[in-house]
Amino acid sequence: MKGKILGILTVLLVLCTSLAIATSDPWWNVRTSQFLNFDNIMNLLSRIALYGILGIGVAFVIITSGIDLAIGSMVCLCGVLLSILLKVDYQPENPVNVTQVIASEQTIYLEGKGPLFPPGSTLRYTGGVGSGLVLTVDAVTENGAIRVREALTRNEKSGRIVKATPIQNFNADSLDVRLPPDFTASVNDQLQIFKPDGAVTVQKITSITRTATETTARLAKDPGEKYHADSFAVLLQRSQRCSIPVAVITVLLIATALGLTHGLLITRLRLQPFVVTLCGLLIYRGVSRWLTNDNPAGFGELQQIMGPVASGRIGLLYRGETLVFGIPIPFFLLLGLAFLATIFLTRTIWGRYLLALGRNEEAARFSGINTSRIIILAYVICTLMAAIGGMLFALEFSSISPSSFGNSFELYAIAAAVLGGCSLRGGEGSIPGVVIGTAVMQVLNNLITLLRIPQSLEYTIIGAVILTGVLGDELVRRAAAKRRLKQSAS
Amino acid sequence: MSTTSQTPPRLEVRDIVKSFPGVKALKGVSLKVLPGEVLSVVGENGAGKSTLMKILAGVQAQDSGAVLVNGQSRNFRSVSDAMESGIALIHQELNLADNLEIGANIFLGREPRRFGIIHEAEIRRRAADLLQRIGLNLAPDTLVRDLTVGQQQMVEIAKALSINAQVLIMDEPTSSLSAGESVRLFEVIRDLRNQGVSIVYISHRLAEVQDLSDRVTVLRDGENAGNLVRGEVTHSSLVRLMVGRDISRVFSRKSYPAGEIAIEARDLVTSTWPRHKLSFSVRSGEIVGIAGLVGAGRTEMLRTLFGVDEPVSGSITVAGKVVPLRSPQDAIAAGIALVPEDRKQQGVVLDMTIRENIGLASVHRHSQAGLLNFTVEKSQSAEMCRQLRVKSPDDTYRVGNLSGGNQQKVVLGKWLSLKPKVLLLDEPTRGIDVGAKQEIYQLMDQLASQGIAVLFVSSEMEEIIGMSDRVLVMHEGRITGELPASQLSEEAIMNLATGHQS
Repeated sequence: MKGKILGILTVLLVLCTSLAIATSDPWWNVRTSQFLNFDNIMNLLSRIALYGILGIGVAFVIITSGIDLAIGSMVCLCGVLLSILLKVDYQPENPVNVTQVIASEQTIYLEGKGPLFPPGSTLRYTGGVGSGLVLTVDAVTENGAIRVREALTRNEKSGRIVKATPIQNFNADSLDVRLPPDFTASVNDQLQIFKPDGAVTVQKITSITRTATETTARLAKDPGEKYHADSFAVLLQRSQRCSIPVAVITVLLIATALGLTHGLLITRLRLQPFVVTLCGLLIYRGVSRWLTNDNPAGFGELQQIMGPVASGRIGLLYRGETLVFGIPIPFFLLLGLAFLATIFLTRTIWGRYLLALGRNEEAARFSGINTSRIIILAYVICTLMAAIGGMLFALEFSSISPSSFGNSFELYAIAAAVLGGCSLRGGEGSIPGVVIGTAVMQVLNNLITLLRIPQSLEYTIIGAVILTGVLGDELVRRAAAKRRLKQSAS
Repeated sequence: MSTTSQTPPRLEVRDIVKSFPGVKALKGVSLKVLPGEVLSVVGENGAGKSTLMKILAGVQAQDSGAVLVNGQSRNFRSVSDAMESGIALIHQELNLADNLEIGANIFLGREPRRFGIIHEAEIRRRAADLLQRIGLNLAPDTLVRDLTVGQQQMVEIAKALSINAQVLIMDEPTSSLSAGESVRLFEVIRDLRNQGVSIVYISHRLAEVQDLSDRVTVLRDGENAGNLVRGEVTHSSLVRLMVGRDISRVFSRKSYPAGEIAIEARDLVTSTWPRHKLSFSVRSGEIVGIAGLVGAGRTEMLRTLFGVDEPVSGSITVAGKVVPLRSPQDAIAAGIALVPEDRKQQGVVLDMTIRENIGLASVHRHSQAGLLNFTVEKSQSAEMCRQLRVKSPDDTYRVGNLSGGNQQKVVLGKWLSLKPKVLLLDEPTRGIDVGAKQEIYQLMDQLASQGIAVLFVSSEMEEIIGMSDRVLVMHEGRITGELPASQLSEEAIMNLATGHQS
């Protein structure tokens, strides 16, 4: 195993050195190298980190002599789920549906009952043709309908009414909007500001001050001159499906459940890992597309808060105020996960059991090891890693397309694991090897870009290099065996 | 070199040398096979028999030395080279495609053709001839999967005869045969010899060798240890040549006062034999042998006792407590250990070290928060290697590099570090050389003296008789009788094993 890691490490170093030289002009001046360019290295490290996390996961499954083809779809599903769980919405407070508008009587019938809108209050009517109308309540009829002062143009059977508040004063310098004291806005809500002529704008509230006589909301931006006077406001309350920790934990739980399902199907029902995870590949992809209606998914305003986890950097080198070089945060995550995985594999009984059953499941079972449980654990670890990777990838990409996001990531992960010394026969593998294997894959990818090799050849080159690597490993192994033979003969 | 007959030997090898990484398997071995004789090649495991046979059959090439067929030097580069010279090897593990018919297997890769397509009728006709020649009363279109192991072996022989093999090399042919099937095989071997075919017979079972051989070549540590001709071949002469010392007494069984009942099965029904109920008990300090023909349900019984197969009904009591056995974990927790029949597949993980193998069943007992305790693992392994005399430079060696006997000691070490109450052994000395066998016997005796209840299955009569305080005999899923040590004899056992109730 050590020899294998050393071998792949040598390959990585040779690749990096040659690439550094090949992209320098003149070749000996590495300061001109496009490869060693700080931005390039930062990108590379970030990609290694994300793909490496997937590789570590699949290594566990490969050690059981299984395979997980669903990783790419799992990445997509987890990205999509995170986006859905974190969906942010702005809705007006207490909207009421309109059941009927009778223009001639200037009356609007509402769903439900009660004196929701006392006479004198202003309303905003949306939906139907009367979109954006500002209305003032004249009276409430016995049957709960409201009569308005303004003329209505036509009869309607749809639409929605929300409470509108006249803006008493707008301070263009401080961006403060003065509102009545009962205006229940809070920070991060939005203010929809509109004019009776239908013009409308939406602004975010950054702070709120309340006194006995008024509520002052400070806006993030100036809505523009024309809204400074004679305008109305509707409060749009912010709602987020889940808080960030709840969303992340939910995604991880769903991934655990799916990994558990894979494991149970493979151990209890004795289905082949290839088949089970191939079905996973298809199912999760389909579910992702269905959940999003095939529309791109993103994180909206949360991207700013969460994005740095995936694309942030711990600065090491600054020029003035701007960051010149930093280690991507996911890289630290990778190191942490790789460390934990190494401890698990080499220093815990479960790691030992995993290696034993990968080599000979029957002997492990006959030694009293609950092999099914360990195999299930491996699949759970793999899907969990895919989920972590998936969320990071989604944040890194910021907008993901459910039909292509994560496509063939499982192959990158498997290839990295194999390059890193995992045997598909099982029982063999090391986490540092997988990380280095991932690095080799990503450097290759980088090489194709930097040397302006047609992108269409990407898979061919990666395939050829993996084949060469595996071949080289085999040749070295044979040469070593021959050498030992000669030594023992003499 | 003097030759006893005028005709050249059918097959001769001279000064064959063959090395593998780390070991010199053959250091200049010579032997001759005369026409129409049974030559047995015996030796402890690691003596070089298998390597020599592989060279003869063209599976491997020698480093130096000559192979002569009918007096002419040959250089086999492949199995088909050897086959063309009339030499066929029948492997210990059979190489048949069990989804095909007998005929198809016999002519696999050499199918007679007509108009470019396989001539089925011809295959059946010729296969039928061959089957008749070896006395196998089966239709050539029977599927191989429906045959017993013994019958499959006959098919292998037929396959060898179909290429007009003049020398038939058989590597441990009886290792998976029942007594009856073995007898049948010997008849075929004698027939073939009378038809002029030379047989090279490799076996650990010295009684067979004594029975069958015209001559015996004994190998020891990759060298010729001596040759014996019929008449000189006795158990003790063979053993003396094989181990280079006299083993006067192989079985060193002492009787110990038996203690409490350690394990008891009541009306146990195994899934393979759902119609029969098994009831028996073993006391601590007692060694109970289970005799019977292959397929009598002995292995299935041990598997059920170890929780590998779930019992259909019945109960198992260990040290007075009924234990539900749904998995090996349950059995191990109850203090039961099993040394399985298929050592390489079920006993050890070949690609792991001795230390890792010994620790496999017990690492969890001295781990904290799941972390391996390397110190305890190391000392425990060292202790077991010392106690069991595992022959290896150190315990970080791959178990796959060890001889069968040492592998078996590693399996025992794995269990003894758990201090079991009941030790089940399934064919504990199969494929193990004489020296290591004796060590296993001593160990079984020693474990019994420590109060462990030992229950072992063996197909070797002398082992059963030599080691047991009591013998249970099984036949087709039933226990047909129980014999105390005083009544043990081959006849008595055979009687019960073939279905006669006591």
